[in-house]
Amino acid sequence: MRIAITGATGYIGRRLVRAARLAGHEILALSRRPMAEPGVTWQAFDLADNLPLSLPEDIAVVFHLAVKTQHDFGESSVEQDAAQRLIEAAAVVGAGVVFVSSQAACADAPTAYGRIKWQIEGKTLAAGGWVVRPGQVYGGAELGLFGLLCTLVRRLPVLPAFIPTPYVQPVHVDDLVDVLLACPAQAPSTVLCIAATEGVGFTAFLQAIARGRTARRPVSIPVPTLLIRILVKLLGARLSSRLGLDRLLSLFALKLMDTAADLQRVSVALRPLGAGMTRSGRGRRELLVEGRVFLTYVLRVRPAGALVRRYARAIEALKSGRALPLPELMQRLPALLALLDGAGGIDDAFRRELAWRLEAAMMVAEASPQGAGRFLGLDRPGGWWRGALRIFWAVSGETIRRIGQVILRPFLSRVGRRGAF
Amino acid sequence: MTGKSQLDFDVIIVGSGPAGVSAAFPLIEAGLRVMMVDGGNTPRQAPPSGQFLDLRQHDASQSNWMIGRDFHALRQSDAVSPKLRVPTHAAVFNGFKLANRIDADDFIAVGSLAPGGLSNAWGCGVACMTDDELASYPVLPSDMHESYRDVVKRMGVSGGSDDDLSEFFGLDEWSDAPVPIDSLQASLLARYPVRREKLLQSGFRLGRTRVAVLTEPRGERRACDRSGNCLWGCGRRALYSATEDLQALRSRPGFHYKSGFVVERVTHKEGRVTVEGRGEEGAGALQARRVLLAAGTLASTRLALQAVDHRAPVPMQSCPTAAFMLWLPRYLGRTQEAAFGLGQLSFSLGLGRDVQAFGSLFNSMGIPVTEFARHMPFGKRYGVDLLASLLPSCVIGNVFLPGAMTDASLCLGAEDRLVVRGTYREEVAPLMKEAQRLLCASFRQLGAILIPTSFKVGLPGADIHYAASLPMHANPVVGQTDRYGELAGVSGIHVVDGASLSALPAKSHTLTIMANADRIAKHLAIRLMAVESSV
Repeated sequence: MRIAITGATGYIGRRLVRAARLAGHEILALSRRPMAEPGVTWQAFDLADNLPLSLPEDIAVVFHLAVKTQHDFGESSVEQDAAQRLIEAAAVVGAGVVFVSSQAACADAPTAYGRIKWQIEGKTLAAGGWVVRPGQVYGGAELGLFGLLCTLVRRLPVLPAFIPTPYVQPVHVDDLVDVLLACPAQAPSTVLCIAATEGVGFTAFLQAIARGRTARRPVSIPVPTLLIRILVKLLGARLSSRLGLDRLLSLFALKLMDTAADLQRVSVALRPLGAGMTRSGRGRRELLVEGRVFLTYVLRVRPAGALVRRYARAIEALKSGRALPLPELMQRLPALLALLDGAGGIDDAFRRELAWRLEAAMMVAEASPQGAGRFLGLDRPGGWWRGALRIFWAVSGETIRRIGQVILRPFLSRVGRRGAF
Repeated sequence: MTGKSQLDFDVIIVGSGPAGVSAAFPLIEAGLRVMMVDGGNTPRQAPPSGQFLDLRQHDASQSNWMIGRDFHALRQSDAVSPKLRVPTHAAVFNGFKLANRIDADDFIAVGSLAPGGLSNAWGCGVACMTDDELASYPVLPSDMHESYRDVVKRMGVSGGSDDDLSEFFGLDEWSDAPVPIDSLQASLLARYPVRREKLLQSGFRLGRTRVAVLTEPRGERRACDRSGNCLWGCGRRALYSATEDLQALRSRPGFHYKSGFVVERVTHKEGRVTVEGRGEEGAGALQARRVLLAAGTLASTRLALQAVDHRAPVPMQSCPTAAFMLWLPRYLGRTQEAAFGLGQLSFSLGLGRDVQAFGSLFNSMGIPVTEFARHMPFGKRYGVDLLASLLPSCVIGNVFLPGAMTDASLCLGAEDRLVVRGTYREEVAPLMKEAQRLLCASFRQLGAILIPTSFKVGLPGADIHYAASLPMHANPVVGQTDRYGELAGVSGIHVVDGASLSALPAKSHTLTIMANADRIAKHLAIRLMAVESSV
């Protein structure tokens, strides 16, 4: 289908354009600057120009992502007016509207930003459109608020640890984009809250940026939120807005969203923060660790690097490309995987995924000179008694493993319950 | 009758597998113009060349042919047979059901769009049907015998030996010497004469497997050197594949070949048949005096039922199958040695009053250990520990029951799609139990233990021996064929593959398909030439 995207050159917009193209959609970019990408046509659109807007007849859905980045006080109706024009233009050609709102959207939000979003949400829903409230969007190119936070983490000598701790609910930009594209399949006039089900402390989020994006491990120092509030009062609304302090106020006022039901409704599993924060957004490093652990478990010796990379490539090509949430101890001692391998009582989806990956690791391990020695038994001397002894050891090992699985069942059943893979 | 001048071809053959090529030779030799079409899937990964054990120890890129650059083996991790995971055979199986509009309901349905068809990945087992087994066929056993001889001489068969299965296989007069046997199976065979009387009484007969593998070089094809790559494809071309015959045919005058043309419909009108299909250049149609369907039982049946617009289900036969593992305790601690990877010993098994089962034994060396580990109730690490020590003293076996033991049906449904259904008949479970008991007892006599938990019955259709969906009858009704495979209810369309076999015994059926195609084509050649001379 053909879709129109406002803010197509922005942080989320670019990822949406990419994903929509991969999904085979034709795209009309509605933005101030032309967008020179194959498969994308362009039509000038500015939130502030207040000119009549008409959309091509074949547009099926309009994704409204554009926001005003500079907050000019007193002129806050620009965004509402622009949204109104867009919704009306969409209605003329019979297109649906998907509006990307904010976690801050609320009738009595402490910031104008949150109140404006709330008003546009109302218009969108009245027109039978879909509203998506993302949590803290991160991942991909360092643009938008995420880009700003990355820059801060790189530049600040220390990171602030606000007290009391504000919580954010992260969502990877590509996961968000998946949800946006799934909106038109939902019932009309739906609000979808999309973010991690549980909050992450804001400082922990900044530390995750540091780990995933920089070589730095900055120290955090406590900063009472009261201090910021006093500062805002002293500087006045205009100056604090220019310094971005009102955004902090918005952060402090965030209420946790209940996202579990909405995530289930669109059947999108969010990637874990650690995996999503890496440059690939896929956690290759974690996947390589997983490959090394699984292959060591099967081979009994450290696998050749080529095998580990082949395993990671296979999971990227055929599966989610994300590492499984394995206990730290098993990552250090791959032999302990024997306890998890085929264990009962663990989460069903996790058990199946683990079984598939262990078998994949086994096939990758076997198809190598290293594997030939181990699997064909060519790496050790023969002889009847040696053979009998080895079989005895294998059966003993298996027996001990089974007993261990029974004893440790309460602990094992907790593994893999959380996290998407 | 349409004369030669008006049509480009006398006969169109749909499919270039064993049936198609076997039908082509007699027609070409009679001077007729033949057009052969096939799905055109060609392999992208060459088979390994060299000794399997050497390659495994030293070839750093072995995962290219063991797993595939596109991770083919992992993609196919749910497939029922190791063969379906082999990257070098990916092109043999890929896309068949989609292109031929076949849907399977709880049944393993496999076919091929590749030149040479399923014979690119077959087990090379060959056998002639005895006169008794041909009793339900409306053909003269002497005609079949002549065709068996011609086909065997063309393809090259080995395994001939004077043993208890000579009569069962019925082709020793045209066979070369067998591939040298491995030490494990040699020990089984060595004990057989000692226990023979007792075993024969219980219904168990043992002998060498007759296989379409060369032990003498033929032209460009080299003899088997026991390099053990059989599962992965033979770089020496010692294993017969219909691509060998296809290559020979392509140099014959009068033979035309269009690869990458999937046939969608066959119709007959005013003395000519039209074959509509889709190729690289888009939709197209070919016309000839006759068409021979050799696209494999499933695809041919769909085209045939469509041609006569037969919407009721037709029955199909398929051999219930099981696999098992034998352990030879004396050989524990042995190291793996180079060995031939296909059948070396075969057995026939009398079950009950008149059910005859058939099976073969295989060396385990060339099969990935992971294939065994997946069926074991062991964790991965200890599973590999155990198998690495155990497998070198083990022999793999399979066993087939007659095709009539599966209640399978093919039905042309909406949008002319073919729905395949099938379940085992009630007696299969007790018969398999009996087979296991008998095999266990027989092999114990020969010094091997049948590992009890290893005996696994396959899913319906897993044998990939599908046949008798359009069986030959002396007086065929719609949904059947006459003694020359000609479809009842329409003229000019002959079915020459497994679909037109009248019955499917437990023994390997490919050679019978080939001989039957040869027999039908010989008859057609005379008939078409006679019409021509009268015109």
